[in-house]
Amino acid sequence: MRSYQSRAAWLALLACGCATAAEPLQPEQFTVETLPPRSPHWVYIVDDAFSNEIDARVRLFDGDSYRHLGQIDAGFSPGVTLSPDGTTAAVVTTYFARGGHGARTDVVEFTATATLELSAEIVLPPKHAQAPPSYFNLAYSSDGRFLYVAYITPAMSFGVLDPVNRKVLGEIDTAGCALVIASGGNRVSSLCDSGRLLTVTLDDQGLEASRALSDVFFDADRDPVFVQGVPTDTGYAFLSFLGQVHEVDFSGPQPVIHPPWSLLSPAEQGHWRPGGAQVAAIHRRLGRLYVPMHRGGEGSHKAGGTEIWVFDLGTHRRIARWPLKPLRFGPAIAVQVSQDAAPVLFAAAENAEVAVFDALTGRLRHVEKHLGETPWFFMNP
Amino acid sequence: MHRLDRLFEKSSRSLAQRTSRRGFLGLLGQALTGSLLLPLLPIDRVHRTAAAATPQPAGAAAAGGATKPGHGAAIDDPHSCEYWKYCAIDGFLCSCCGGSSHSCPPGTAMSPITWIGTCHHPGDGRDYLVSYNDCCGKTSCGNCECNRNEREKPLYRLSRNNDVNWCMANSDSNYHCSVSVILGLAEQ
Repeated sequence: MRSYQSRAAWLALLACGCATAAEPLQPEQFTVETLPPRSPHWVYIVDDAFSNEIDARVRLFDGDSYRHLGQIDAGFSPGVTLSPDGTTAAVVTTYFARGGHGARTDVVEFTATATLELSAEIVLPPKHAQAPPSYFNLAYSSDGRFLYVAYITPAMSFGVLDPVNRKVLGEIDTAGCALVIASGGNRVSSLCDSGRLLTVTLDDQGLEASRALSDVFFDADRDPVFVQGVPTDTGYAFLSFLGQVHEVDFSGPQPVIHPPWSLLSPAEQGHWRPGGAQVAAIHRRLGRLYVPMHRGGEGSHKAGGTEIWVFDLGTHRRIARWPLKPLRFGPAIAVQVSQDAAPVLFAAAENAEVAVFDALTGRLRHVEKHLGETPWFFMNP
Repeated sequence: MHRLDRLFEKSSRSLAQRTSRRGFLGLLGQALTGSLLLPLLPIDRVHRTAAAATPQPAGAAAAGGATKPGHGAAIDDPHSCEYWKYCAIDGFLCSCCGGSSHSCPPGTAMSPITWIGTCHHPGDGRDYLVSYNDCCGKTSCGNCECNRNEREKPLYRLSRNNDVNWCMANSDSNYHCSVSVILGLAEQ
């Protein structure tokens, strides 16, 4: 006992001596961090901050280090997009003069993605579609010359902006068809209640040159398509409530609609459905489609997936099912996949957790707790 | 469009002030409000297929949305997301924010435009047309978030959509909470 006490006393003395002998902490320099070079495993997470909706934000998160790298403010019910060269993030949003109330100002704000500093803005008519985020609330033309803003007042139309000279060029009525699906240098398509696409072609000044309606490709009564289209090599894939996949090629003067195919086997139909806020993701080079799926029925189209199903876009065959419950994660309401050769899959849950998976194997790499409040939409950098 | 909306808002508010909510005339007025508002909404009808949305019997509703329809007292509790009238509401329940299932909290403003749904009342076995209005002009209430989506449709069918901010046309368009107002019996 005595020997133990004496050893403890020596150790305490030693520790005390070491502490006093150590170098004092150096003064720190107060600086602003700069972003490292862009990584394909970064993701922009649109957080609508639904319980405090005037304070939405876009969070930049790194799927390798699992660090929150920075933030872009996003006001009330924003739409977010990136310029074709990736150097600029554009946010269309509303601000109220007195915070939660007061005069409404709609604006597009531009942020340099290399620094996350605001670089410019364009004030809009107070018409921007205050709806959940998708690729189609705000979109650039492929050459970056025009920027299109979806308007709902509730009359539907869209604004044409000149992002270089920071001007509103005009407004084009879409006759009840919603949102802006940009293609080429001068085309904007919108989804119509009739199950068609309306495509408006613009002239050099950004004014309407012509318009055309596609054939009917979905039935809004029986099986509507989600407005959250998923980018493919040549356009977008639109999933329907009942699990049909409608791939649309937007690369030509008018959209070309491919025959639909089903996510479900005959035995699964009527039981399993896609759903959520960002209903699928596609790795374009690998041709893989990732869809959160749940067991549901009428009205379950916003329910998150209890499993993620993986499909080969070439063969339309399901190649994997990744149940989330064993991982204590989910249901997944939004997904995105990085586009590199060693891709990661991001999934957001209703409780604001964000999971990072190996997108080739489904191995769970990380779960980030409480990544904001309502992470509803992911964008690749 | 705006002028028509304003005119209609004025006339329907005036009707609401002059009539008793419990009275037959009030019910008739509300039913008229619902049926007249629908054709005003700017939806694309030119190529619409003839079949209108066919409401399914609520009893057939399977697991639905973020919150599933429940059983027992919650179906009759306006503070519960499972309340029968909330079958397609998406937002904060005004009944938890100083209002009720059909009234806005003090100091907020009613949205004059809205979308219409059909909910099944298990008490009497009938289907009712309900108007989902937002209460506007203050920031998010944040209480009793409820997300149910029976017969709800995407944004391109705006008259059946609960995602868009229905305060959008208010002079103060911030969203605070949502109500569900009975307009009348749904057609059988």
